[in-house]
Amino acid sequence: MFQFDTLSIVFVLLILLGSVPNIFYSSGYLPHIERKMHYQVHYFSFILSMIGVVISANALVFLIFWELMSLTSWQLILTEIKDKTTIEAARFYFIMTHFGFLFLLLFFLIVTDGDLEIGFVNMKDIASDFAYPTLLFFFIVLGFLSKAGAVPLHVWLPYAHPAAPSPVSALMSGVMLKVAIYGLFRFLFDVLYPWPLEWGIVILVIGALSSLIGVLYALSEHDIKALLANHSIENIGIILIGFGMGMIFDSLGLKVLSSFAFIAALFHSFNHMSFKSLLFMGAGSVLHQTHTKNIEKYGGLIKSMPVTAITFLLASISISALPPTNGFLSEWMIFQSMLSSSHIDNTSLKLAIPFAVFALAMTGGLAIACFVKAYGITFLGLHRSTNAKHAHEVNFMMQVGMILMAGVVISLMLFTPFYISWFDKVLVGLGMGSIYAQIFPHGMWNLHSVGINGGVVSPVILLVSLVGLSIFMMFGYKVLNVKERVHNTWGCGYKTSAKTQYTATGFAGPIRRFFNWLYKPDEHFVKQTIAGHESKFSSSNYEVHVKPLFEKSLYHSVSRVANFISYWVYRFSHFEQTRYAAMIFNLMILVLFSYRIFAHEFSWATFVLEGVVMIISIKVLIVGDKK
Amino acid sequence: MILYFLTIICLLLLAPILLSFIKALKMILLFKKPISLLQGYRNFSKLMQKETIISSETSSITRYAPFLVLSPLLVTMFFLPPVVKGAFYVSFVDAFTITGLISLSTFFLMLLGLDSASAFGGMGSSREAFISALVEPAMVLTIFSISMMAGDLGIGQAGVNLAYNFPAEHMSSFLFAAISFFILLIAENGRIPVDNPETHLELTMVHEAMILDLSGVYLAIIEMAASVKFVIFSSLFVSLFIPFGLEYSPVVAILIFIAKLFGVAIAVAFVEVNMAKLRLFKIPNLLGISIVFAFLSLITFYVLGY
Repeated sequence: MFQFDTLSIVFVLLILLGSVPNIFYSSGYLPHIERKMHYQVHYFSFILSMIGVVISANALVFLIFWELMSLTSWQLILTEIKDKTTIEAARFYFIMTHFGFLFLLLFFLIVTDGDLEIGFVNMKDIASDFAYPTLLFFFIVLGFLSKAGAVPLHVWLPYAHPAAPSPVSALMSGVMLKVAIYGLFRFLFDVLYPWPLEWGIVILVIGALSSLIGVLYALSEHDIKALLANHSIENIGIILIGFGMGMIFDSLGLKVLSSFAFIAALFHSFNHMSFKSLLFMGAGSVLHQTHTKNIEKYGGLIKSMPVTAITFLLASISISALPPTNGFLSEWMIFQSMLSSSHIDNTSLKLAIPFAVFALAMTGGLAIACFVKAYGITFLGLHRSTNAKHAHEVNFMMQVGMILMAGVVISLMLFTPFYISWFDKVLVGLGMGSIYAQIFPHGMWNLHSVGINGGVVSPVILLVSLVGLSIFMMFGYKVLNVKERVHNTWGCGYKTSAKTQYTATGFAGPIRRFFNWLYKPDEHFVKQTIAGHESKFSSSNYEVHVKPLFEKSLYHSVSRVANFISYWVYRFSHFEQTRYAAMIFNLMILVLFSYRIFAHEFSWATFVLEGVVMIISIKVLIVGDKK
Repeated sequence: MILYFLTIICLLLLAPILLSFIKALKMILLFKKPISLLQGYRNFSKLMQKETIISSETSSITRYAPFLVLSPLLVTMFFLPPVVKGAFYVSFVDAFTITGLISLSTFFLMLLGLDSASAFGGMGSSREAFISALVEPAMVLTIFSISMMAGDLGIGQAGVNLAYNFPAEHMSSFLFAAISFFILLIAENGRIPVDNPETHLELTMVHEAMILDLSGVYLAIIEMAASVKFVIFSSLFVSLFIPFGLEYSPVVAILIFIAKLFGVAIAVAFVEVNMAKLRLFKIPNLLGISIVFAFLSLITFYVLGY
């Protein structure tokens, strides 16, 4: 029923690392929740169900815990029903998560041959007998990636994560998405093992697209929690790039490189868990104090909320993949595994991988821009609203939660070799070779790429040298004993005020304008001009809203088609009996005509004639007059 | 080891001179009386003596960020390819660490711009974020390509390999990468046509806008960071794309290296004099050229094979 192999244990560790600081934070957050009992019950059963998913050993237990995880998180989104959007977000999440569940169920029904209680290992034989393994692969991809939030199944994330209470958003984004990554590891390795090359490419393309699209929509977002949710899409994309590279290398027989890429993906899962939980906690503290999610209403919070500000800064540096943080290390490993693609013999594949390198590098650059925006607008400058002015540091338990999570981030940065040795054991457990000795050949200080003439990075030395140099210079500044004077910021002779600062919309302006073809934003510009002069106005208001392209095209067209069909079903089922008779008559003609055409003989003249008869009879008898 | 530290100190001392040299050369080309080459030092010592004015709107970020802007760049100085034969060098640090360290410095510079609550700072940060987001992929691809040609992902080792066995059969991809990197050198250091370092007009400022509210020692540190960044980029360009002269005796090698650095400075000065500053929204076209050349370089390398 349950199993505790290395993969499960490592993911249990991930869930515990993500949820223990979160429990502290949640207990500090609790006084502000009205339905405390409802919240507590679902919160703890959510954590337990995630642990249940990663330790379950057969399909039935897996599916039960998976469904429990979905349902409890769905109820947690509904904890604070303040407006209609929360209910809509919860409904959207419910539909998307069951969309994925459906494919998982299909997958399990096929690979277990109907007996849901057989272990995962026994599924392999049944799966290898199945004639269409790619179908199984796509079931897994749809099932798990709709949970993980990869493009194009990512649309629910920016709605569901902001609607939940902040500790829950941290858990959902930091931990629950990783459970989906666990599912990929478990079933691709245990059940569908020898992968064709194309599967890896599919995962790589999904990853590259997710990372770029996630970060681009994060940049245009004003809601701080939706911004972070979009970054989850980006980071899942980065994990999938690592995973896809691993699959590609494995199917080409480059086992060592493949293990390296998988370790990078696992490491990034851990890192994303740590810094994303911390960011959501920071955002939650800010939201808790200012009562708004709108980033334009913050500003200057570093002065009143120093603990939140410092932990948020640490997480921002880490998520922007800047050295020497843990986010940098895992992204470095993914980059290195992509650069090792020069070992591949297939030239067209070799030429394609630089595009993924490009996507990842571009993502890195845009993530920096996005977190400068998120941090700078939220914590720096002057207070942009009265709410921000009255903010003060959150209560002790919430601070403890954030500091513990910062500790997790720092431990991932300092004890990289320890974590990597565990990831190595995971891959050994999944049947790959151990490469720990190749990653750390000369002690634990230097992290080596396993490619031929690959790069090396030494995280601890970088950290020590950076911190040491900065402290040395600060000390020098103290010794110089410079005279200091405090004075207002220069504002061209005017008084500096909160209104003259750059806004988040303005900050992202150049990038938004460059990617206008993708965003297609709704702009509203209202200006009260004075006496007809274009350039003189008493008040002006500029708003810009970006609606995700995928939602506009993919989801809305699906819902339009569904609407259209249900409309006609409705119309057909609510009319007088004569019309039912007419429908039956028409169906009979249709059957007869189709028999003539498909089974008996085919000629264009009769086909057209019968078509015309059908159309006329449908029009006259069923549709009737337009009202 | 001594040679290693000597070259780093030498490059650090050279940093302000190079920027003053560009300025002086531009003034000569514009028929003005040129400034002295030591102007950088004069500015530095003058700023060190002044009192520091800290804006009352700022937070603790302003007090710490200048040091954090400079220290990643100083760390990067230790990872550059060797200048003379036999000198110690850190062979293994790869392009991502170097671009990462430079981005870390830019990250704190952008926060510094947003901290002072002035419209200028935000404007500068916003533009810098836009430009550096587009520089990042081009930089990674270019250095990826050149390290493929050199046969080692570590920058230091790549510089040495290129100097000793130049990949003449990959001349085309080498040239593409060189063009791409030169554009990046201009863009990252805020030279015309991407940014005008001399103007204080809000329409065109990028780098200057972010540091408008700094004064005294803090300003001196940021100016120093700017000159160190120029030295990092130009010595990377020189060691990776003009790789010769490593085999001579140390003194000659250093002189050749410095001459090459001045060569890069002359090229930058000529570009500056002959070009107008681009509009902000035309800059992606320039950086797009750089990205395309980086791709071309990789593709020609792969197609031609090893």
